[in-house]
Amino acid sequence: MAFEALFQPIEIGKLTIRNRVVSTAHAEVYATDGGMTTERYVKYYEEKAKGGCGLCICGGSSVVSIDSPQAWWSSVNLATDRIIPHFQNLADAVHKHGGKIMIQITHMGRRSRWDGYNWSTLLSPSGIREPVHRSTCKTIEEEEIWRIIGDFAQAARRAKEGGLDGVELSAVHQHLIDQFWSPRVNKRTDEWGGSFENRMRFGMEVLKAVRAEVGDDFVVGMRICGDEFHPDGLTHEDMKQIAAYYDATGMVDFFGVIGSGCDTHNTLANVIPNMSYPPEPFLHLAAGIKEVVSVPVIHAQNIKDPNQAQRILEGGYVDLVGMTRAHIADPHFIAKIKMDQVDQIKQCVGANYCIDRQYQGLDVLCIQNAATSREYMGLPHIIEKSEGPKRKVVVVGGGPGGMEAARVAAERGHEVTLFEAEGSLGGQITLASKAPQRDQIAGITRWYQLELARLNVDLRLGTRADEATIADLRPDIVVLATGGQPFLSQFPEWGYSENPEESLVVSTWDILSGAIEPGKNVLIYDTICEFSGVSAADYLADKGAKVEIVTDDIKPGAAVGGTTFPTYYRSLYEKEVIMTSDLALHKVYREGDSLVAVLENEYTGALEERVVDQVVVENGVRPDEALYYALKEQSRNRGQIDVDALYAIQPQPCLAEEGEGFLLFRLGDCTAPRNTHAAIYDALRLCKDF
Amino acid sequence: MLDSILPVLIFSALALAVIGAWRRVRLWRQGRSSPVPILKGLAAMPRRYLVDLHHVVGRDKVMSNTHVATAGGFVLAAVLMILVHGLGLAQGVLGWVLLAASACMFVGSLFVARRRRNPPARLSKGPWMRLPKSLMAFSLSVFLITLPTVGILPEDFGSWILAVALAAVLVWGLGEMFFGMTWGGPMKHAFAGALHLAFHRRAERFGGGRSTGLKALNLDDPKSSLGVETPSDFTWNQLLGFDACVQCGRCEAMCPAFAAGQPLNPKKLIQDMVVGMAGGSDANYAGSPYPDRPVGEHHGNPHGPIVAREGKALVDAETLWSCTTCRACVEECPMMIEHVDAIVDMRRFLTLEHGNTPNKGAEVLDNLIATDNPGGFDPGSRMHWAADLNLPLMRDVKQADVLLWLGDGVFDMRNQRTLRALVKVLRGAGIDFAVLGNEERDSGDVARRLGDEATFQSLAKRNIATLSQYRFQRIVTCDPHSFHVLKNEYGELDGHYEVFHHSTYIAELYEAGRLHFKPWKGGTVTYHDPCYLGRYNGEYEAPRNVLRALGIEVAEMARSGYRSRCCGGGGGAPITDIPGKQRIPDMRMNDVKETGADLVAVGCPQCTAMLEGVVDATAEIRDIAELVADALVTESDPHTQPTAEARIAIKEVAS
Repeated sequence: MAFEALFQPIEIGKLTIRNRVVSTAHAEVYATDGGMTTERYVKYYEEKAKGGCGLCICGGSSVVSIDSPQAWWSSVNLATDRIIPHFQNLADAVHKHGGKIMIQITHMGRRSRWDGYNWSTLLSPSGIREPVHRSTCKTIEEEEIWRIIGDFAQAARRAKEGGLDGVELSAVHQHLIDQFWSPRVNKRTDEWGGSFENRMRFGMEVLKAVRAEVGDDFVVGMRICGDEFHPDGLTHEDMKQIAAYYDATGMVDFFGVIGSGCDTHNTLANVIPNMSYPPEPFLHLAAGIKEVVSVPVIHAQNIKDPNQAQRILEGGYVDLVGMTRAHIADPHFIAKIKMDQVDQIKQCVGANYCIDRQYQGLDVLCIQNAATSREYMGLPHIIEKSEGPKRKVVVVGGGPGGMEAARVAAERGHEVTLFEAEGSLGGQITLASKAPQRDQIAGITRWYQLELARLNVDLRLGTRADEATIADLRPDIVVLATGGQPFLSQFPEWGYSENPEESLVVSTWDILSGAIEPGKNVLIYDTICEFSGVSAADYLADKGAKVEIVTDDIKPGAAVGGTTFPTYYRSLYEKEVIMTSDLALHKVYREGDSLVAVLENEYTGALEERVVDQVVVENGVRPDEALYYALKEQSRNRGQIDVDALYAIQPQPCLAEEGEGFLLFRLGDCTAPRNTHAAIYDALRLCKDF
Repeated sequence: MLDSILPVLIFSALALAVIGAWRRVRLWRQGRSSPVPILKGLAAMPRRYLVDLHHVVGRDKVMSNTHVATAGGFVLAAVLMILVHGLGLAQGVLGWVLLAASACMFVGSLFVARRRRNPPARLSKGPWMRLPKSLMAFSLSVFLITLPTVGILPEDFGSWILAVALAAVLVWGLGEMFFGMTWGGPMKHAFAGALHLAFHRRAERFGGGRSTGLKALNLDDPKSSLGVETPSDFTWNQLLGFDACVQCGRCEAMCPAFAAGQPLNPKKLIQDMVVGMAGGSDANYAGSPYPDRPVGEHHGNPHGPIVAREGKALVDAETLWSCTTCRACVEECPMMIEHVDAIVDMRRFLTLEHGNTPNKGAEVLDNLIATDNPGGFDPGSRMHWAADLNLPLMRDVKQADVLLWLGDGVFDMRNQRTLRALVKVLRGAGIDFAVLGNEERDSGDVARRLGDEATFQSLAKRNIATLSQYRFQRIVTCDPHSFHVLKNEYGELDGHYEVFHHSTYIAELYEAGRLHFKPWKGGTVTYHDPCYLGRYNGEYEAPRNVLRALGIEVAEMARSGYRSRCCGGGGGAPITDIPGKQRIPDMRMNDVKETGADLVAVGCPQCTAMLEGVVDATAEIRDIAELVADALVTESDPHTQPTAEARIAIKEVAS
């Protein structure tokens, strides 16, 4: 049997898990209303259980005490008995599909924010500031230590009474337990600091109190890191000693192991490795822990593919694989393996849209799967065939919005034709994938290619659709997702011309697509500060150019998320790319063989110049509206989307109306430049009722 | 003048026939002993011929009537001819009856002749092409010589030339009909066929019965080799059965391996056995050869090996390993010959004495020996698929109404979906059931069909010992192979159970009002009869009843029911994997395509696997259990999911 190791059940404590795949704890940012789990939360986990996931550990950083703020990330609040009935709903939803569910419980100590909600005074063993959240804190007192130990026990009791299958004590990501462990943060000289035993004491007392409260037939695990990767932090050998120490108590039922500490931006990026990392980069650390403990070890970090998971399990490195982002991208991951539909798995590409939203306190969403966490709204992961009339649907544009529209319409059973002017699908995803370390983003396109082929969508690649070609197909519905073009014409002073011979500036698209040869001495002006600018900088530097990236924003790449800008910075600094902020591109002019870029300081108005041989401008996308306006008047609905219906996930009313001619909708950047998720979300919610 | 020579001719022919018969009987008696009730068999023979055999022949009405006229006319004419013309008992009506009988036979033979004008490929040619003429010669000459007897013509009509000519024609007729009957002519089928019916090794088949279980091999007999090495290793009545073949080729027309271009033609195989029994080469065989195997290169003798270790003997091993044991040939054979028994007998020798099971065969058998399952999976992982189902184990509960026999499909992700669906259905109906869990072993089906009788018996005995520890009313299984073996082949080893295929059981539950279904909303559905459920066990209706209960009107394939085409998965054929020109499951999915169905309902893990393996299939393959589980209207059962969820992917894993 294929994937035999993956489908081998395992006992954790007295609990049987049906397979070796775990959705590990992450902050969902779905719990609201004082930290009570919502319908959205329950459905999100139910979908994973329905899809076959063995074990879900929910509620990353769910708090046990009132002074560990939960509201910033809408995490679950276990500090009150009010949570118990909510847990019962959650447990039932998962159990009814044969899955198991536990929750991570923690006190975050200094790793939070104090400037809101209860305005909590944050606590830490030695009152040392945490840089990622810029959080200051007080030195915890003995009374508070014992209160929090008691809070842990009560939180575990609430999880048990709510019918959950276990709790995971978070001693990772620099929460309070591992703040006590780490000599980097714990400078105490009393019995809670100093020696190994003293530093272990808080965690040990928590473990004892929890175990005493819940007894032997409830799973209690610990999530730890395998190496803090700080010179003054805990090393792998330290972590092995710690794991063995707790394991020896017999009170821990499993260990979850993560590589890297995360109290700096740079280490944080390791914790949720984005696409620049190799597969399972920190497996060796988890395997090292497994060597010294007697209970199952879970490891999650960049495990996304069933073959990879099978290989890891067969190798015996760990006992269970965490495939958390893999399940955010496709909660039916296991079901598709079992259905022999491995090719239909929507595989996580490591874009980290999910986690980067979470760090901003926004709900976790998937860049490529708009149904994830929107199950409660009725957005389907599996599109039902329509029982209505079979329609002829024409989609123009093969970027993410167009591909999703074509996929969903084809799944509905319609006859779909997709036009793409370029020779391949992908749109801006294709451009994005050209940058160093960003090639995996093309996985989004790869999945659509497979799906559109499976669904027999008529792909017209290399074909620019116009009014006539569309009319020839006599469509019932036309969906425009034609995207746009780099917006270089906004300021005439930049010297942009449609004639490449005359234009003084080029776009990041020109560079990434290879249409324009990289210069030797290049200035990139990036006012957008998302991926494209830093990607172009990285690309140019990789080709040997001297690069300066300039922005009028607060820093280059300012809008790139917290787990991704560090990997760009590592690459850019290593290639000696100069990053300059607070300067706007005022003017470009030619002087001899060179170009002079005049930059204006945002705050003083002072001008300065750069003499370069290439100026690359990233000023976002200007929607391509020509085809839309050419078709608008002919269409039955004059191109209008009923936003009430759209936002309510209801069918567009015009679909039910009889009439001659076609309905016209537009999606994605050809409406207004947004992002991949926006395009896919609009396509899904619009087309799911075709 | 004729009057005086007729008795001479008739009794000479009869004498030669008796000598031939004696020689033929000696050929059969080369075989191993096989006790059959001789007199009882002979007494039962007419009925077996008139009822059971004609039930098969009657599937082709024209041919059936032709045979009744010709054979009936002949038997009557032959007896009366001996009385009237041989013994001179010409008084009264006998002559008139003889006249009528020969006329009847003549009419019949005209139809035989017509059939031979453009004979289908399945019919053997050669001597068979002259048979209609011989029949006409006999019937016409008998008619003519009887005309004077009844006084229509004068006693001495015509000249002596006419008399000689008539005598010559009669000699031809007598030669074919009497002499040829026992000396190997086409009419041999009547003589051997009649005795074959009398001494058939599966007397249970007559009178509407069914006998399809393979017969156990005595593994402890020191005197004989295991299985059949030489023609004389068959039992005498098997040899007799081979001799009964009329070479009509109905088997050939139905054989999936033949159609796939694999080197098997059941008719040729039987004829090869006849060649082997008598000694000689297959050069005179006048039917379709084994695909891609020229005729005339094989030879054998009663005591020589059927399959050569090297080079060629009577039959190539590939021929034997091409068989899917689907029983289409046996089902179709008007002479009720047992091809599958013969093939398995010969396989037994190759596997048990030579250790020569081709391709993956040896590995599968090794796996079965080492792990009790053909895939070589950890026997302790048998229940991994159900880790989240909390299935009651017999070891814990000791008794249950239903013992759910899971089969080796537990190791297959596709079949796991069927099993989960079946569990959902049983729970939906509130059935008290339990499983053996890791105590279950492979039923032994594959081992037995691959000729490894020893492994079969070992598995069977251990399964029987396990089953004997528990109390249950019946066994239910979704695997027709396990079903067949448990029901029909464990009996000889003292395992007697009431066994139900899940379709039968579900049909019963539905009838009893214990299951309720949502109306069918899907498209056109056809149903594929698994060989081991249909032909082996006669269950054609229950699956169709279940589909009907679901609101499905089955769009039947041209080949369905007892003529269903095998999926190619039986008899270990996918394991021995003998190459042909096309694949059997591809042909079957083409049958499906012809119905326009977009879903084919099946009731066998093997069929599911084979049909799902077809590339670019036009129809989805679902087990009946899955269709039932999808349609099930359930109260809120903790092990089922809300009905709002309709699509497959989720269901499979979650239900």
